[in-house]
Amino acid sequence: MAIERNYYTIDPEGKLECMKCHVPLIKGKAKFMYLDNGFPVELPVCPVCGFVYVPEELALGKVLSVEKALEDK
Amino acid sequence: MPGIQERGSTHVYKVNKISKEEMESMVARCVYEDPPFCSAACPLKLDTRAFLKAAAGGDFKKALQLYEKATPFPLILSMGCEAPCEAKCRLCERGDGIAVRAVEAAAARYGQVSKLGSVFRTKKKKTVAVLGSGLFPLFLAGELEKKAYPVTVFCEQENLEAFLHCETEFLDEEAFSLELKRLKGKDIQFFFSCDLDESFFAVQREVFDVLCASEAVAKRLFPQAKMDPGLMLMETEKLVTGIGSGVMAAAFGAKKAAITVDRLAQNLDPRNMRGSEGPVESRLYTDLDEATALSRIPMSGKGYTAEEAADEAKRCIQCHCEECMKSCAYLKHYKKYPGLLSKEIYNNTQIIMGDHQLNKPMNACTLCGQCTVVCPNGFDMAHVCAVARRNMVSTDKMPLAPHEFALMDMLFSNGDAFLSRQQPGFETCRYVFFPGCQASAIAPETVKAAYLDLCERLEGGVALMLGCCGAICDWAGRYEMQDSTREFLLTELSKLGNPVIIAGCPSCRKELTESVGGEVIGIWDVLEEIGLPEGARGLERPAALHDACGARGDAHTQEIIRDLARKLGVELIETDYSGDRAPCCGYGGLTAYANPEVADEITKKALERSDAPYVSYCMACRDRFARQGRESRHILELVYGTDAGTPPDISEKRYNRLNLKRELLWELWREETAEMKLDFDLKYTEEARRLMDGRMILTDDVIAVLNDYRETGEAILDSETGLMIARKRLGNATFWVKFTENGENAFTVHGAYSHRMNVVRREG
Repeated sequence: MAIERNYYTIDPEGKLECMKCHVPLIKGKAKFMYLDNGFPVELPVCPVCGFVYVPEELALGKVLSVEKALEDK
Repeated sequence: MPGIQERGSTHVYKVNKISKEEMESMVARCVYEDPPFCSAACPLKLDTRAFLKAAAGGDFKKALQLYEKATPFPLILSMGCEAPCEAKCRLCERGDGIAVRAVEAAAARYGQVSKLGSVFRTKKKKTVAVLGSGLFPLFLAGELEKKAYPVTVFCEQENLEAFLHCETEFLDEEAFSLELKRLKGKDIQFFFSCDLDESFFAVQREVFDVLCASEAVAKRLFPQAKMDPGLMLMETEKLVTGIGSGVMAAAFGAKKAAITVDRLAQNLDPRNMRGSEGPVESRLYTDLDEATALSRIPMSGKGYTAEEAADEAKRCIQCHCEECMKSCAYLKHYKKYPGLLSKEIYNNTQIIMGDHQLNKPMNACTLCGQCTVVCPNGFDMAHVCAVARRNMVSTDKMPLAPHEFALMDMLFSNGDAFLSRQQPGFETCRYVFFPGCQASAIAPETVKAAYLDLCERLEGGVALMLGCCGAICDWAGRYEMQDSTREFLLTELSKLGNPVIIAGCPSCRKELTESVGGEVIGIWDVLEEIGLPEGARGLERPAALHDACGARGDAHTQEIIRDLARKLGVELIETDYSGDRAPCCGYGGLTAYANPEVADEITKKALERSDAPYVSYCMACRDRFARQGRESRHILELVYGTDAGTPPDISEKRYNRLNLKRELLWELWREETAEMKLDFDLKYTEEARRLMDGRMILTDDVIAVLNDYRETGEAILDSETGLMIARKRLGNATFWVKFTENGENAFTVHGAYSHRMNVVRREG
């Protein structure tokens, strides 16, 4: 089992709100999948509808670098 | 619009390979690693180029270290050697060759002798004896000492001075005393006043592992024995010996003899594993135009002073073949000459099973073919990269990410934006105008003007085809898409009755000639024939002509463009690297998509040639130069008196194509197409538009995300920024849009980003 990684912390807690369910996003379990690979991660998730949020700095930082590494495999 | 599938399995049979032999013959074309002519001529393999570079910088210590690699006795060699290097110096072709020997002598004088002698090195266990005196025993003892053998010299002379005097009459007093000092510093054991007869030899045979002798001693001991000059060995007697006279014969003989000693000491065949010995031929190319100092620096005394020697060394042009790297910003970026880069790319695609670290360089080449023209041996980097890309695609190892946007753009050009119609009033036309996707995207007004002009002035009717020629998938190595594009275009051309194609772009002309065949001419050919239309106007200032890489090797097109420019009254500036030698603008080979950083360097390099406005005949070149802030005009803009103005962003390029199709359909064929109207009000901040262009996010992507939000209500609110953020998975990427809702059905987009990884919620 791969180690779960936490790349993002909601700070301050409660600053992100699900517009559909009107509840704050909490730290929740999610999975990135790319080119036959899967990575368990912890990301801001809506506890009601399950919307998983990928913040911009994460998408353009860690996510992009992992994508590039996998593309060159 | 159909998407493109991301790769799945990675186990597909390999096709599109370059064979090992083909690669080797390709790599052999690159002469970068060939030695300079001076070193190639030197039997001792002195790295003359590096030596002169050190001396030119006044670093005689380093210079001497390099020289000592070639010989243990630098002054003896420099004063007695025949200097084959000087005769081969390329400067001789323009003036005086470098006085290498005089600089060597200066280095031997002014360079510091290494203080830490070989005393502190671990010696080898096998022992060697050298019998006799003269240059060969002297050099051989020195060579063996360098190789860390315990060496003992037995000579007839009474002392070290007398030993060194043998065959070194050419040394002056100062040089003699310096070399004596050097000899004393070496870890060599001497026995003087020896009687070198047969019995003496027999005794030493029992004591030492390998025996060596001067030519005179060997002949005296074994007058009948045969000596192999390649090995410096009397094989029957197992005696290593010298031959010939002169400093170079002795120095080179000692080098060969030392290798033989090395092999014998290890009980190995002295014929094997000797490496390259003696002078070699070099194929190095040298640009002699760089040579400016053609006269030898005179000596103020009997030898050079340190300063004079450095000045003489500075005249060396450091022969290197860097013709391709001088002209190509891509090769310069990766700091690798094509022979090496090709080998690495070949290994990356066909040998390595793990990470493919060369994907980026392979996808950064513009495939423009400039290197093949500037290389004295015609090295074809574009072929290497193009085959490597196809190979990666065929083995399913090519990531889609670098090329997906361009490929989707091509599908758009040949899908929603595609248009193929006969000229109104004609059932079949003699011609079809194919302006190319970039022309419609960047300068739709120019395309319209050109088409109307052709319709009016050409007899037999001119059909119109707005689409992509297939160069995009060709460059991406997607050969299957290339086949389907070819089939598609063949079908469409057949529906038009296979007219003569008038291409608006040299790359389209080239691609279409190779793919669909038939007669393909350029619009420039037509204009040359029918003359310029009314309203054609040149530029007020002189302009630099940038030749398109699509016209490389096509002197006919290059000349017609120049002629048209002259007729327009443009005063053309011919730059370095024009015609077949022209660089790419950075768009070719999809570099602008796969590696924007390298593409920018390529564009800047292309713009270095002149400060004047640039006139080109490929719309991608026009666009790349204008994006760098240079006044840039496509020759058709001058011909038709249009000005495409500020370069459009990626979304505007799509809009322009659709809008051109819609306008032409209505104005010429009276076919009405609904203009896509949004049922909500949408604004972008300037920053959002800038980010989207850089991140290759289209307004269509943003609209899809917002439509999804309007349907599902799924979004989050960041209370810190006050922005809402919604997302949608479109094809192989997830797009995120940051926005504010301004009342009902009105949005302002503040930013957008995307990632290719798919993200899902995980239970448990």
